Amino acid sequence: MYAKLILRNVKRSAKDYLIYIVTLTICATLFYAFLSITSRYYKPDVGAEYDFTVLGDSMKLAVVSITLLLLFLIRYVNNYMLRHRQKEFAVQAVLGMEQRTIAWLFFAETFALGAVCVLAGIFLGVLCSQLITAMLLSEYGLTFRLSFMLFPDTVVLTVCFFTLSLLAAGLSNVHTLRRIKVIDMLYADRQNDPQLIKSRYMQAMTALHGIVLFIMVLAGISKLRFYFDPRFPLPVHIMFWGNLLAPALSLALLLLWLVGKAVFSRKNRQNFLWDFRTLLLVKMCLSLINACFSASVPRICARYQISFGSSVLGSDTGPNTYLMFLLADLIYLVFGVFYLAGEAICLWKEKRPAHTYRGQNLFFFGQITSRLTTTARTMTLICLTFMLSIFLFLAAPALTGWATGYLAIRALYDVQISTAYNNVYEEEDLPTGGYGSVSAFLEEHGIEPAADCTFHLYLPRREEFRNRIKWDFPVVAIALSDYNALRKMLGYTPISLGEKEFATQWQTIATEEERERFLAAHKTLETDAGVLTMASVPEHAPAVMESAPTNSRTFTGKDSTGPSSQAEGGRPGDPLYYTEALGETLYNRYTDVIYIFPDSVCGRLLPVMQNRYLQTKEPIAYDDALLLQEMFLEEYPEEPAGGEGTSYYLRTRTEQLNGTKATIFTTHAMMTYCGVILMVICLTILSLQQLLDASQYRYRFGVLRKMGVEEDAIGKLILKQLRIWFGLPVSVAVLMSSVLVFYFFTTIRDQIVAYIGPGALAAQVAVTALILSILLLCYFLSTWILFKKTVGD
Amino acid sequence: MKPVLQLDHIQKYYGNEDTLTQAIRDISFSVEEGEFLGIMGASGSGKTTLLNCISTIDTVSAGHIYLGSTDVTDLKPKQLARFRRENLGFIFQDFNLLDTLTLGENISLALTINNVPVHEIGPRVQEAAARLNIADLMDKYPYQVSGGQKQRCACARALVGNPKLLLADEPTGALDSHASQMLLSTLLGINETLHATILMVTHDAFCASYASRILFLKDGRILTELIKGSDSRRIFYEKILSVLTMSGGGQTNVC
Repeated sequence: MYAKLILRNVKRSAKDYLIYIVTLTICATLFYAFLSITSRYYKPDVGAEYDFTVLGDSMKLAVVSITLLLLFLIRYVNNYMLRHRQKEFAVQAVLGMEQRTIAWLFFAETFALGAVCVLAGIFLGVLCSQLITAMLLSEYGLTFRLSFMLFPDTVVLTVCFFTLSLLAAGLSNVHTLRRIKVIDMLYADRQNDPQLIKSRYMQAMTALHGIVLFIMVLAGISKLRFYFDPRFPLPVHIMFWGNLLAPALSLALLLLWLVGKAVFSRKNRQNFLWDFRTLLLVKMCLSLINACFSASVPRICARYQISFGSSVLGSDTGPNTYLMFLLADLIYLVFGVFYLAGEAICLWKEKRPAHTYRGQNLFFFGQITSRLTTTARTMTLICLTFMLSIFLFLAAPALTGWATGYLAIRALYDVQISTAYNNVYEEEDLPTGGYGSVSAFLEEHGIEPAADCTFHLYLPRREEFRNRIKWDFPVVAIALSDYNALRKMLGYTPISLGEKEFATQWQTIATEEERERFLAAHKTLETDAGVLTMASVPEHAPAVMESAPTNSRTFTGKDSTGPSSQAEGGRPGDPLYYTEALGETLYNRYTDVIYIFPDSVCGRLLPVMQNRYLQTKEPIAYDDALLLQEMFLEEYPEEPAGGEGTSYYLRTRTEQLNGTKATIFTTHAMMTYCGVILMVICLTILSLQQLLDASQYRYRFGVLRKMGVEEDAIGKLILKQLRIWFGLPVSVAVLMSSVLVFYFFTTIRDQIVAYIGPGALAAQVAVTALILSILLLCYFLSTWILFKKTVGD
Repeated sequence: MKPVLQLDHIQKYYGNEDTLTQAIRDISFSVEEGEFLGIMGASGSGKTTLLNCISTIDTVSAGHIYLGSTDVTDLKPKQLARFRRENLGFIFQDFNLLDTLTLGENISLALTINNVPVHEIGPRVQEAAARLNIADLMDKYPYQVSGGQKQRCACARALVGNPKLLLADEPTGALDSHASQMLLSTLLGINETLHATILMVTHDAFCASYASRILFLKDGRILTELIKGSDSRRIFYEKILSVLTMSGGGQTNVC
């Protein structure tokens, strides 16, 4: 009998809780799909040079951690179902069924519904995992072949995870149902909206914001003390002082208000000055100003080349602290907006009777304010989660593009051996020899070199050898023949120089301003072999200089497109410099440039570093790469014994690609996964909030109908109401996340320009925004249709 | 007196050929302007169906309903809503107030959906509220007032638009005897002073005794008619009880 009841209820619930079913199925699908690539049985054909196990554990942990967020959603939806069915439970209780039995029946019902969703999710997950595999293989530059497989360990993990989640939510429902009074259940749907008493969460938020303001003031003072210089231009002055005074003013206001309230409010309770909402409004305005100052930090720092420090009170570089401050202000603003939204509508209603008493506006305002006052906190949390989700979606392509672009300029050679002389204090300890053991290893393992170049990097002046100050580290030089050999290895055309001339080669990350400043200051160069002059772009750039990588095995990134050297794009007479990616180990520490000297000059200079770059005919297998590294480290340690001596480094393309690509993929996949989960949570709650009180809405719209309001007008009212409920949190979240994303992109502007390209990033952001909009529209339409159906019933 | 409402052989069937239910078999009557008509009958006698048909919430299977010179049964669905809001006022057993609006706003809503100019709304709402003795409750929400006050608010909302016909469906059903008495006195007062035409459906003899004429329904037909005339309310009440007893309405209908 009970089994029949459960089955019938499940069937009926399937219709009522469509959104819950869809959401749970989507979650199970995503969970299975993302987890499947960490399965022991998942072995995509990525070739011998890749080891796939590096992905496994970190990703498994990340997927499970992110999915824990779903517990919140499952709990919310269960509460929704519980409220929806209370009357029915009450009738069962009145008829004599024990509350314990009712609770367990409900548990069995939700569990059965959940189980069906999870099974459907696993099935869909098998299909969806193909997409993830395609994403993975594209990351590794391989073509995708369709292959459906059910991984037993992933199935077990998915089933276990969701079983536990459903159990936890179900048991909590059982507990609630057993405690609730029958009378309360019976009249649950007749209860009026709770009285408009607000909890004190906004006061708590204001106190927390006060603490953040205090930290901001401290940070402002610290920055002013460590980094400020009166000679800075006016915008920098504004940035420094604004970031100190705005939070200080806000904090002072808060303290004054507290004191004032304690002293004066007893005498005059009605005074609006001591109303919390007045304080909140003023503080929100100040937070907005403060957010503008915080947001200006990366732009002004980049524009005026200001160091501003990343830690609150320390002296590191990078404006991460102000990202946190900006975030704190935005969160406070969002809380404030939703807290005061209801009040604002009430005020509008009061002040604008002509608008309020037009058509069905009165009814509409009532609909909005009644819910806003009771759901302000939920709406705020939805908005913030949505904001985070959008940020994750948009930051993911930037971060992965950065990492991929960086990989492109890093992993240029199959084997890169480099040295550093930071711990070498005597000239005789500088590296010599040709790394013969590496040649022997390659021969032994049947790895044939296609190109091989061992070369030195020289100090223009011997006296610079002792110069070890970080910001004044000497720029090293490379001999023209070595430089051309490297260009040849990477498929670029060789260059030529006059006898007493030099040119420069730049790292991709170097900014144009930096380059121009350097070139302007180094028209001539004093060396141990005499004075050299900077070479200029010739009248007619030879055809051979139209360089683009031709080597098919060269890992090409963004750098292979567009003009990459002054020889191509510069005007005749301009200083000659090159910006092709030749590997970051080519440069001395803390520098972004090297000189290219004629061979005859280099013969008379002090060689301080000895590098060797190798290209092989076939990619080095992952195991061989590890062995090579191990062998090399034994002979040439990275940390010299006793702390003195040359540091040697060996990097293989295999190991670099493996590690970085796995990290890139995990980061991208997890950020996307987290974004999707958060968005699904937000949209589901937004939908459910509307459908939750469908019976109330049905009643209200029913009253309107009886009073003679046309169906068209009711349809418009419904659409307007849903537009507000979806539109308000979504638009606030979009606005806030745009500020955040803009700040983030400004912070990593150099990396975007160097490794991704603003156009490519903009295209990715546009595509992501389009997908998100489609997802939002789908949820909106399904909620609208369900809502209309419910109200129409 | 000219008739405000006229029902001409109306019938209402539910279901299909196999399971046909005749809720209203053949009913004809008219309501004069300023009349307070009560409709009584046991459960299932068709009184609520009749009210739904008159209020245009439901359609008739046959026959005609005239409100003034308009044949309601000829109106298209789109015209019905407009007709309803311009000509009818409703009082329901469960008040049908919107809990999201204050009592004042609930009353205003009846005017705003009729696009009454804004400057007229305030005075008219105040006037209606004063007449129903709820003027000091205008800023309260429905959950903050008693059942009787809610029903008086519903009554004010129904009256504020000056409808041609006020329809009341068991208006005292959810009220205690004191609140019922107060509401009925108010309704009677409105009927007498404003000459409002009221059609009230009830199964309560006491409630019905406030009407000037009562139609008794049984199995979808008019069983009999009782006119108050110059009788006192107490005598009229006795007569109603007698009719109910004769018609087999049973003691359940007797308070």
